[in-house]
Amino acid sequence: MTSLSDTLRPSDNVIPSVPDHRGSWMPTGGMIATRFMELRRRRGLMITLVLVTVGIPTVFLAIRLLLHAIAPRSYGPAGGYDIFAGLVAGVLYVFGFIVAATLGCTAGSVDLTEGMFRHLVVTGRSRLALYLARIPAGLAIIVPLVAVGFTIVCTVCVLAAPTQLNFSGVNVPANLSSAGLQGWAGDHAEEVICNFGVNIGPATPDASTLNAVLSYVPCGGGGAFGKQPPGGQSQPQPSPAQIRYVAALIARTNYSDYARHFLAPSTSLMIKSGLWLELEAVIGFLVGLGLGSLLGQRTIAVVLMIVLEVVLTPILSKAQIPHMVNLQRAVVGLATAHLTPGGLPVLGGGGGGPGGGGGNPGLLPESTIVAACVIVAWLVGWSALGAWRMMTRDS
Amino acid sequence: MTQLGSTSTWDEPGSDWAVETHGLTKRFGDNVAVNGVELLVPKGCAFGYLGPNGAGKTTLIRMLLGLTHADAGTMSLLGHSVPQHRAAALSRVGAIVDEPRFHGHLTGRQNLQILAAAREPAAKGRIDSSLERVGILHRAGDKVSKYSMGMRQRLGVAACLIGDPQLLILDEPMNGLDPAGMQDMRDMILSLVEEGRTVVLSSHLLDEVERTCHAVAIVDRGNVIRQGAISDLLAGSSVAIEVECADPERARSLLDHTAFAGSVDVTQAGLRLTLPAGTGREVIAEINRILVHGGMDVYRLEEIQTSLESWFLQVTSKLGSAE
Repeated sequence: MTSLSDTLRPSDNVIPSVPDHRGSWMPTGGMIATRFMELRRRRGLMITLVLVTVGIPTVFLAIRLLLHAIAPRSYGPAGGYDIFAGLVAGVLYVFGFIVAATLGCTAGSVDLTEGMFRHLVVTGRSRLALYLARIPAGLAIIVPLVAVGFTIVCTVCVLAAPTQLNFSGVNVPANLSSAGLQGWAGDHAEEVICNFGVNIGPATPDASTLNAVLSYVPCGGGGAFGKQPPGGQSQPQPSPAQIRYVAALIARTNYSDYARHFLAPSTSLMIKSGLWLELEAVIGFLVGLGLGSLLGQRTIAVVLMIVLEVVLTPILSKAQIPHMVNLQRAVVGLATAHLTPGGLPVLGGGGGGPGGGGGNPGLLPESTIVAACVIVAWLVGWSALGAWRMMTRDS
Repeated sequence: MTQLGSTSTWDEPGSDWAVETHGLTKRFGDNVAVNGVELLVPKGCAFGYLGPNGAGKTTLIRMLLGLTHADAGTMSLLGHSVPQHRAAALSRVGAIVDEPRFHGHLTGRQNLQILAAAREPAAKGRIDSSLERVGILHRAGDKVSKYSMGMRQRLGVAACLIGDPQLLILDEPMNGLDPAGMQDMRDMILSLVEEGRTVVLSSHLLDEVERTCHAVAIVDRGNVIRQGAISDLLAGSSVAIEVECADPERARSLLDHTAFAGSVDVTQAGLRLTLPAGTGREVIAEINRILVHGGMDVYRLEEIQTSLESWFLQVTSKLGSAE
């Protein structure tokens, strides 16, 4: 009979182990590359990402280009500032966040749901390194996608911008100086007087002239400014020079409003908007990654992220709930809305002032520093939560 | 019967064990899944880890691999304490726990690339050879979602092999394999052992374990109740003898009046004698003599070899009746 000591003597042929720093928290390039491959080869997810970040704006702009080419009188130019602002603030901002969050939730949960987590842990590699490898891999997907979609929007909005600016219902040449606008207004006095806003108070020294002109021009209000002539006499007929003068006066008071309207988005605005969109996508991805890792499954995490972006953020950014204002300020969507580049509409509608979202009276007030702190706290906090769960999870 | 500590090699202090646990305990609420387990797995052998469902086999494996924490006790893999030196310990360990699952949208090779990236740089170079060794290199470019259960098992073993492991822990590796696949797996395990690696095999297929493993541990309700070389364990079990004769009742009465210890039962085939462990062949000859001298026609007298399965059932039934 074979004895135990014959067959089962512990083997002496120990294979020397090579130190490979697998206990280090730092992911290797290979880990990042294979994680990137794993995400990139999810066909359904990738199609969704491309459709939302690139497809929606591309199709929208293509249809506008086509319609404008077919019937230019009925359909305006495909590009321009208004289209840019609408697409950036209304589509890319919201949907970019949602798809980035979906990608993050996927990256944070699929190893667990698909049974690879055990294989990875058994390699002895630091769980923190396994978590951190997902961050550059995911960002390497979502950041370029958002950039591509945004570049298409910028290209069309610049190249297919309208050649004339429609300001208060009047086609006005773009990029005029204040003097230029006043000169143009003198030549188109009736249109200006009838359509531009009259922002001149009654104390103006030209009140009588203004009143006379407004009374004379058929669409003018008239009779409201300055002192009426004694005896209720009718207004004297204004001279053409007076009409031109009043039109120029109205144009001058409208210049600051006019100056914010552009045919095409400025380079500065495009750069700021691009960075702002990428920031939103990074936030969406990292928060989604942390939440996905924390919950260990994708669907609920994605639903929660959509609810946060589409439902909670607009409500908590606008309404002032007693005793909860500071808590509302901790909502990351409010913080990013306050960083909206000047010239873009802000969260939930409303025009952005030159200073961006911070100048919008509809938003809960928050300083830029606080907004930046909130964003950093969300990024660090959710990453820490996700990593902690990854490191402590039983599998 | 060989028990923990009763054999010199198992009891030898300072030995170089592939797996060593002392007082390892894991609780889930009030349920003690692993209860002070003392387990010693020698290096360079195939070791079976057996137990009924819910005995705590997988929980112990998960603790060893750092997939869940232990509530008490110590453990080491290849001489490295776990979890203190988990990275060093697992660097030379490959394991499949439960059903091997992978990313279904990736090919077998791509899944291994992910795992190789988490291991040492040399692991990438072992992917194709591992796939070839488990016999699925020709399907390495197919998506895992199209693999059969057996192919996933093979891929799981390939995932273990890319790390050039000294110790493989395979949880039910025969699941989903057809008879030819089981034969291949058995041969592969034996070849791995021949290379000096240690294979710990958790399985409910006792026949497969008996054919493959040199030693086993039996676990029940969180406790390791027996462990040792299979040959030693079976040598410690009772000896069964079947006797086919003309008149079984009279044969039993003849044997009842003799002095040998053991029990005699009448069966359809004749008699079944159960003799104490260690009974020698001279006792069997003596039984034959008694029957023949008593005028009994003996047609057949056969010693029934104790299988691991029957021994396992003996051990576990004794445990059940002891309660």
